[in-house]
Amino acid sequence: MNIIETTNLSRRYGRTEAVHELNLAVPQGSVFALLGPNGAGKTTTIKVLMNLLPPTSGAARVLGVDSRKLGEREKAQLGYVSENQQLPLWMTVRQLLDYCRPFYPTWDRELEKNLLAQFALPEQRKLAHLSRGMLMKAALLSSLAYRPKLLVLDEPFSGLDPVVRDDFIRGVLEVSALGEWTVLVSSHDIEEVERLADRVALLDGGRLRLNETTESLQGRFRRVEITDAPAGVGPATDWLEWERAGALTRFVEPRYAGETTERAWRERFGDATVKMQPMTLREIFMTLARANRTTATEATA
Amino acid sequence: MLPFSIELKPGLPVAEQILFAVKKAVVAKQLRPGDKFPSVRLLSQELRINPNTAHKVIAALVHEGVLVTTPAVGSIVAEREAGGKRERAELLGADVERLVVEAKKLGLDIDDVQAAVAAHWKKLGGK
Repeated sequence: MNIIETTNLSRRYGRTEAVHELNLAVPQGSVFALLGPNGAGKTTTIKVLMNLLPPTSGAARVLGVDSRKLGEREKAQLGYVSENQQLPLWMTVRQLLDYCRPFYPTWDRELEKNLLAQFALPEQRKLAHLSRGMLMKAALLSSLAYRPKLLVLDEPFSGLDPVVRDDFIRGVLEVSALGEWTVLVSSHDIEEVERLADRVALLDGGRLRLNETTESLQGRFRRVEITDAPAGVGPATDWLEWERAGALTRFVEPRYAGETTERAWRERFGDATVKMQPMTLREIFMTLARANRTTATEATA
Repeated sequence: MLPFSIELKPGLPVAEQILFAVKKAVVAKQLRPGDKFPSVRLLSQELRINPNTAHKVIAALVHEGVLVTTPAVGSIVAEREAGGKRERAELLGADVERLVVEAKKLGLDIDDVQAAVAAHWKKLGGK
């Protein structure tokens, strides 16, 4: 079952299209990372999903309900923490929790207590007097304590120091229940989320560029280096970043499939020495971003 | 705390890194037959990884016979036949390749490398 599903979802601000015909499905039980540079449309997408913005066209379903009709019942199963969240700054941490609790039938006092201790949050301090890291942890705590079915985190890590970030991830994992628990997390930095995510989607210019499991991505991308490739041999059509310098030829193979692919290389390069290595997710994303840019330039030229 | 040493490096598939670390711990006798292996939950929290990944790792270790699941206790480290030497050598594979590549780059030959390895071996008290 899909916890989130969008159909041709678009959102404009005046004449600017922030999200363009997005079709996205987030399966239940996954940790889904929504990645992309600043301005790619991540926050807009999330705001539509949380019914903070209506779509211009198309639709989104969240927890089985149209996003525009999200009611109390769905909101009680939904956790949302955003980088720019508005919090009642005049309240203390304790008052915030006392205020939130009655809205959620599944609120777990024991979990609340554990998270308070784990996050080292000062209960009597006003939110206005908390550091940015503490404030994010308070917001997270108030969204975790009722064990939401779906947790949505919009750029949760930006501007957090490594210790706070680590606390934050531990807190999120604290409520994990295998198979039932779904997380959607947006980030501009793949390394922040690569250990957590099952599946990554890449947004760029409001369009979906990629939607794949991390496992399959790392399985099919290889950086290949060839020493003494025969002169005159060019790249296959889907190879990326083909370069030659001296005796060395280098490229990225986006469809590596074991023995078959290696045989194809041997046919092309004869006896030359072929070395290949897996790529990190960050390298894969950089390669894809550069390839998208080249295609875009060629299209307009 | 986890009963085996691991330091996750960014970029490489997380599941593979953990599988390798666990097998290394077993052959190095850091993990012994009958030892209790961490639950999905503990593994996920300690390493800050997706619980689905932790689940997959444990399933793979059970499948490969490194762990056995018992209904009451969870997973424990399996009894292994004495053989295992080839397997232990395989775990070194990547490190050996790196050593050979570096040595060739420096223009050393195999005797130089063997001598260097033997010297180090002695220093660490091996025979």
